[in-house]
Amino acid sequence: MAMLEVKNLSKNFDKLKVLRDISFNVEKGEVVAVIGPSGSGKSTLLRCINQLERASGGEINVCGINMMSTNEKGRTVFADSKTLRIIRLKTGLVFQNFNLFPHMSVLRNITEAPVCVLKQDKNTAKEKALMLLGKMGLESKADSYPSELSGGQQQRVSIARALALDPEILFFDEPTSALDPELTGEILKVIKELAAEGRTMVIVTHEMAFAHDVADKVIFMEGGYIVDEGTPDHLFGDDASERVKQFLQRFNR
Amino acid sequence: MTGEQIQTLFGLMLEYTVPTLKIFGFTLLYSIPLGMIVALLKMCRFKPVSWLTNIYILVMRGTPLLLQLIVAQYSVPYIVRSELCPGFLHALLDGVDIRSEEYMFNMMLFAFVLNYAAYFAEIFRGGIAAIPKGQYEAAGALGFNRFQTFFRIVLPQVVRHVLPASSNEIITLVKDTSLASAIPYMEIMYIAKKQVPTYASLLPLFMAGAFYFVFAMLLTLLLSLIEKASDPLWRRGVNEKRKELFRRGNA
Amino acid sequence: MKKNILTRLLAGFTAAAMLTACAGCGNAQTAANTDTPAASDDSLQKVLDAKKLVLGLDASFPPMGFTNESNEIVGFDIDVAQEVCDRMGVELVKQPINWDTKEEDLNLGKIDCIWNGMSINAARAEAMNLSDPYMKNEMIFVVNASSGLKSMDDLKGKTVGVQTGSTAQEILEASDMYTDITVTPLEDNVTLLNQMELGFSDAVFLDSVVAYYFIAENHKDFYVLPGNLESEEYAVGFRKADQTLRDKVQTTLSEMKADGKLGEISEKWFGSDVTTVK
Repeated sequence: MAMLEVKNLSKNFDKLKVLRDISFNVEKGEVVAVIGPSGSGKSTLLRCINQLERASGGEINVCGINMMSTNEKGRTVFADSKTLRIIRLKTGLVFQNFNLFPHMSVLRNITEAPVCVLKQDKNTAKEKALMLLGKMGLESKADSYPSELSGGQQQRVSIARALALDPEILFFDEPTSALDPELTGEILKVIKELAAEGRTMVIVTHEMAFAHDVADKVIFMEGGYIVDEGTPDHLFGDDASERVKQFLQRFNR
Repeated sequence: MTGEQIQTLFGLMLEYTVPTLKIFGFTLLYSIPLGMIVALLKMCRFKPVSWLTNIYILVMRGTPLLLQLIVAQYSVPYIVRSELCPGFLHALLDGVDIRSEEYMFNMMLFAFVLNYAAYFAEIFRGGIAAIPKGQYEAAGALGFNRFQTFFRIVLPQVVRHVLPASSNEIITLVKDTSLASAIPYMEIMYIAKKQVPTYASLLPLFMAGAFYFVFAMLLTLLLSLIEKASDPLWRRGVNEKRKELFRRGNA
Repeated sequence: MKKNILTRLLAGFTAAAMLTACAGCGNAQTAANTDTPAASDDSLQKVLDAKKLVLGLDASFPPMGFTNESNEIVGFDIDVAQEVCDRMGVELVKQPINWDTKEEDLNLGKIDCIWNGMSINAARAEAMNLSDPYMKNEMIFVVNASSGLKSMDDLKGKTVGVQTGSTAQEILEASDMYTDITVTPLEDNVTLLNQMELGFSDAVFLDSVVAYYFIAENHKDFYVLPGNLESEEYAVGFRKADQTLRDKVQTTLSEMKADGKLGEISEKWFGSDVTTVK
């Protein structure tokens, strides 16, 4: 069973077509990197799957649960709010700008959702949060506030925050784009570790070398379409489409 | 004025700080939550609601509070007498005893609350608008429902944003309570005004001024403390200092 | 759904506010049309039934009706009204009001009468049902009894004290004798009288009610020059339609004048019977 199925997905902002006929699957334990120039619709794709935007048409299934589909009459139907909530808890999202809660300590940033949303016991949530912080190398920062942390540290906290809910599939929306170049390494290292654990992940990124190293599958998007997809060796190799080669050349220069 | 007279007057004013505090306390108690509701209504995406809220705020901020206090006092008898008054409203209001103390106080409070809610609404709206969209998105992605997002993520941040401007309003309210003397409602300013011809002296007014000053000063101190305490870093610093002292005490 | 209820509530508020505004303009006309007393005027009966007469006053006009040091409302008007109520067998309720909106309070029934040294003028006679005048307030000159001054003509070349910003000052400045006298304005009448006693001035020009009250209160050896520069009369104000209540109060006042009670109260406050009730 695919963890994520996207079929003929489209998204329009008024007349602007941001996503056109997007179809792909993510299998359990698979790491998918989505690359492509700015404005190609990568982030919108992630936001549609994570319910931050409502797609205009097509079908999305998460862990076999239908989130949205277009019926025979061409009308887009979304699952009821209860189902959407269940799906939401199966997905985790890490933002480009971290979006930590500034009024909460690092620890509470991580425990708030498990306690509030999953109704976990406070101590259980705390233990788990401390464990995750340990994994991120941030045990000593549990009582700090986001404003006291570097960008890299904040992003690691936000990854821990997403992991605290035990998502089946984890999404990263350009997780290193807001960071100074010397700080991107620590985030990429964390994501690589997560990949090694066998986590299912979809990563929108501009780090081509990283995508090559970590991904099982790479999707290249442009103008709202999936232009090419395949193994890293295919996409970063000689038999990739001309457009992909052209795009990658700019990175290699 | 003799010392004895001043003492009598002081005692009298001290006694009437209670009604002043009553207006102050009740106005804050009701106008702050109402202001929050009005702020949310103003931000409502259903336009007519937002327009009506804007008109309400415009009227409340655009007319003198003194006038609103007086209009509130006469609103019930005028509505009852009006031919346009619908039956149910007439039945509801006809039993109101406009001579009673409660009527006078409640209508006065009504005007104070509506007026202050309008000002608070504008402050809160600014505070809510200042919360980045990413905060809502992060909360949504973590599975918080709208209710939890507002009360756990948005509101605590709004409170910090709006504290300075709200403090200003709260201090202003201390002095605005004196407008109640025009109703007339017996509070400090009323007593002072009535004692001026009795003693043929302006001293009662100056004494009233001193009362307001002291009250405003204490509030300023309290509010600045709250403002500080709302900074989590400051709070943690205090906690750590306390722990440190505790450790040293044990050693 | 929640939004819906809020919308409706808000609409209700606005409607109520507009209603108030409309009611305001509509009522001004009806009030003016009630000139003729209603056929069945139950105003007296209502007061007797309620066993209460609600007297509206500003409570800052010594000696007519004011607030004393212990925050009680006292004064000549209050004593008289108390006696009237006692004789009518009802309780006197002293209700402080905003003097600027006294006509509204009266017409909307918040109070039954206005009784606070209210001088008669055309506008008030139009807006209210006034009692007969019960007292005169004159603008008079007070001098030291020992000064030898006997009439207003004797004031030529003398120094006269007057309260700054008062109507007394306006009247004095507008009078023919203004050129012949030296005027020293001061903050308040009490200080003026005290200073005249010490010789700072020869006379003080002020309201007779205040003068008589001060002289009676402090047992001063002052003399009031005969004549005045202007006079006004005080009356009690009732609602236009409340004829029976007004008449009952009026006849009670006349009874009190006849049996000497009114004179007694006047003596207490002014040192002599200065009332003009018939």
